[in-house]
Amino acid sequence: MPQPLDTVKGFGVTFKQIFKKPITQEYPEVKRPVYPRFRGRHRLWRFENGLEKCVGCSLCAAACPADCIRVVAAENTPDNRISAGERYARIYEINMSRCIFCGYCELACPFDAITLGNEYEISEYARDDQIYTKDMLLAPPIKRTPVADAELYDTPIPYYKEHA
Amino acid sequence: MSVPELVTVSVDGREVQVPKGTGLVETALAAGIEIPVFCYEPRLGPAIGACRMCLVEVEGMPPKPQAACTLTAQDGMVVKTALTSQLARNAQNATLEFILVNHPLDCPVCDKGGECPLQDLTFRFGPGRTRMTFPKRTFDKPIPISPTISLDRERCILCYRCTRFSESVAEDGELVAVNRGAQSMIATFEDEPYRGRFSGNVTELCPVGALLPTTYRFEARPWEIQTVPTVCGLCPVGCNVNVTTREGKVKRVLSRNHPDVDGGWICDKGRFAFGHLGARDRIVDPLRRQRRRGLQPAGWDEAVDEAERLLRAAQGRIVTALSGSETVEQAYGLAKLMRTGLGAHTAVLPEEISDAVDGFRLPLSAIAGAELIVVVGDDPVEERAPIVDLWLRAARRNGAEVVTTGVGGGAKACRQLAGEDDELGRRLRESDRPVLIWSGSGGAGGAHVAACAERLGFGSKPDSGVFYLPLTPNGRGVVEAWSAASDDEGPDPDPIGLLFVSGDEAASDPSVRSLAERADAVIATTMFQGSAVGWADLVLPGTSYLERDGTFVNLEGRLQRLRRAVVPPTPDELAWISQLAGRFGVEVSPYPSVVFGELSERIFGGLPYGEVGERAALRGREPTGELRAPAPAATPKGRGLRLVRYRPLFSGAAVERVPELAFQRPAAEVQLSPQDARRLRIKAGDEVDVRSNGTSRRLRARIDKGLVAGVARIADEHAEELQATVEVARA
Repeated sequence: MPQPLDTVKGFGVTFKQIFKKPITQEYPEVKRPVYPRFRGRHRLWRFENGLEKCVGCSLCAAACPADCIRVVAAENTPDNRISAGERYARIYEINMSRCIFCGYCELACPFDAITLGNEYEISEYARDDQIYTKDMLLAPPIKRTPVADAELYDTPIPYYKEHA
Repeated sequence: MSVPELVTVSVDGREVQVPKGTGLVETALAAGIEIPVFCYEPRLGPAIGACRMCLVEVEGMPPKPQAACTLTAQDGMVVKTALTSQLARNAQNATLEFILVNHPLDCPVCDKGGECPLQDLTFRFGPGRTRMTFPKRTFDKPIPISPTISLDRERCILCYRCTRFSESVAEDGELVAVNRGAQSMIATFEDEPYRGRFSGNVTELCPVGALLPTTYRFEARPWEIQTVPTVCGLCPVGCNVNVTTREGKVKRVLSRNHPDVDGGWICDKGRFAFGHLGARDRIVDPLRRQRRRGLQPAGWDEAVDEAERLLRAAQGRIVTALSGSETVEQAYGLAKLMRTGLGAHTAVLPEEISDAVDGFRLPLSAIAGAELIVVVGDDPVEERAPIVDLWLRAARRNGAEVVTTGVGGGAKACRQLAGEDDELGRRLRESDRPVLIWSGSGGAGGAHVAACAERLGFGSKPDSGVFYLPLTPNGRGVVEAWSAASDDEGPDPDPIGLLFVSGDEAASDPSVRSLAERADAVIATTMFQGSAVGWADLVLPGTSYLERDGTFVNLEGRLQRLRRAVVPPTPDELAWISQLAGRFGVEVSPYPSVVFGELSERIFGGLPYGEVGERAALRGREPTGELRAPAPAATPKGRGLRLVRYRPLFSGAAVERVPELAFQRPAAEVQLSPQDARRLRIKAGDEVDVRSNGTSRRLRARIDKGLVAGVARIADEHAEELQATVEVARA
């Protein structure tokens, strides 16, 4: 049995929305600030004197549940001093397509050498490009990701995240 | 042996019965309770209680914590470990806090991190945080105490395991503790490198990261590695080893205690020579000689075609030279191809092997319990089979007498021993646990020494034994496999149509090289270019023992399983032997398990491949028929000293390619007996000229009390072209 009145009511709901302010955002142009503790692309850090904080201990690789970190260490020599410790990471690679951004690597790191940043736009056309090398991880992210004001949230920012 | 008396001990309220005299650490383990230790290691001799980690409370003893490792189980003993005793708990906690006072927080950069007893025990028994606020003691680090071992004194906890190994196992005494008390530190003599043959074992004994192998420095972490249990294929002992691999590369070799074979020790050759896998001149593609251009890389199809062409062209006039480092399966596959496929029965076998010694078979560990040991032969035991030397030292410590005889003429010495009126022979007859060891050349595969043992009545004494130390790692297995492939015999070909050289050892053998001069063509299978360049027409790449699956037979006659630790850069020998055999209508499987199954029926009593086992058992004694010693080779006559050559442990194609082991290579020395030295007015360290028919070598003199007069002993690589009789004079 047709119910013309119900049909009109239904369209009424639809037409009402036209006069409301949209809650969607035009994503690539407009970026929503991420939550301050959001875990995005990793970043490797240096000391102020230029030495890398990472000593290539592989604890991040051990902690990683997705097994996406590969570290090959080598020894610092007087003419080739890379890190502050005896050893440094000769190869440091993160496979971003495998990473689940759990943040265990920054928890495991004894030197706060690796932290997770806020960048999430890390899609690529080729899988190979998803493997981030040490140079890419040491460099600051190219794109800036807006971050929401930490004051808006009552969750504390972990100490290792403060400088990220 | 009598059954030991059992005593009842209570550990944390659990009653256990153990033989009287068992250490308290083992007693607790029998009760399922762990007493933590750092310095305790029964293989190093009596416990010293240096680390104080094993403190427990024992009722009836003074009311202070007792070091469990120094106590033995007594009847009615009541022991309380840290599980139930607050006293012991506090004591262990305090011990760890003291140890950690000066231990640096190096764990992230320390190679031991992750497999470190100090880390583990601190987690379980130690304090959670430090109260130490002063700067820690520092030293220069790391100090290379040899090219293969680095020492980090900051990390050292002075457990004295390493010095005890050096003093009472290897007995080299090169690693010692200097100074006293808190100033104690581990050191070698005046910056001399730690040159012992077994030095690498201290890196495995060290419970912290103080002594570490330089070859493993920063190479891998314990959670990134795989471990492959296999056996070492560098000498006839066949020590059981665990090979650590990471990302398809061998990173280190550790011992895998087989109490009957190696007792958990391995020599430095076995531990550090793995570097040859990545040698610069490693052959990875087949090489084919092309006119005017020398050896050029060829594809595998082309190489197998060429090999087939050469084998056909030789029309059965083929000689096969074997190295003795092939696996049993490879040797059998090759034998089947040559013997059944081509009718070529002539082979240059790596060495003579006699099954006569199998009638007096004993595990190597039995040497340590022997009463009287006679070593017959020219070669120092530690150069030929280094672990046997450790067993001999253990025997000496246990009160056995070790006599070396027959330097310069082993066969004659054997005959003399078996004689009625020989003093040493009489004592061997009377002894309950006598052992005879042949260490030298010309032993006829042990036939001499076995015949001697037979006449000395070893047959009726189950604790007596005979060991023949072969020259090659798997010579026994290779010879057995070669003879198992066919019963036919054939005439020696002359002229030789094709010489097939298998392995680097055969390729560097001068007698094989001289055969090559008479051969129309040469096919060589070698790992390294250096072994094949200049004389081979076709080179097929070889693989190393770490890259093969199969079985090895060691000097006791123990069949042991070899496992592939890493994938070789080239197909292994069995793969192309199988292909090549197919072209001659012979069926050889490319899988070692299948080949072994076929061979096992014939010579290993049908033992399945899967049951060779990780800790292989020793076959029982095999009765031998009437034993007759072959006639001894004629000793060369002439003026001057008889030259005795020996092959040093640190020599050969693999060791030459490992730069870390260069310092262990034999010095250019001639060893002389004290009598000869006095007669020739030569002092130790003098430069001498060793001359024979026109060739001369300048060497340094060393006086060896174990040598008999009339003999000069020189390492193979320094003897070079010297003849059998040499004249020695001061330069």
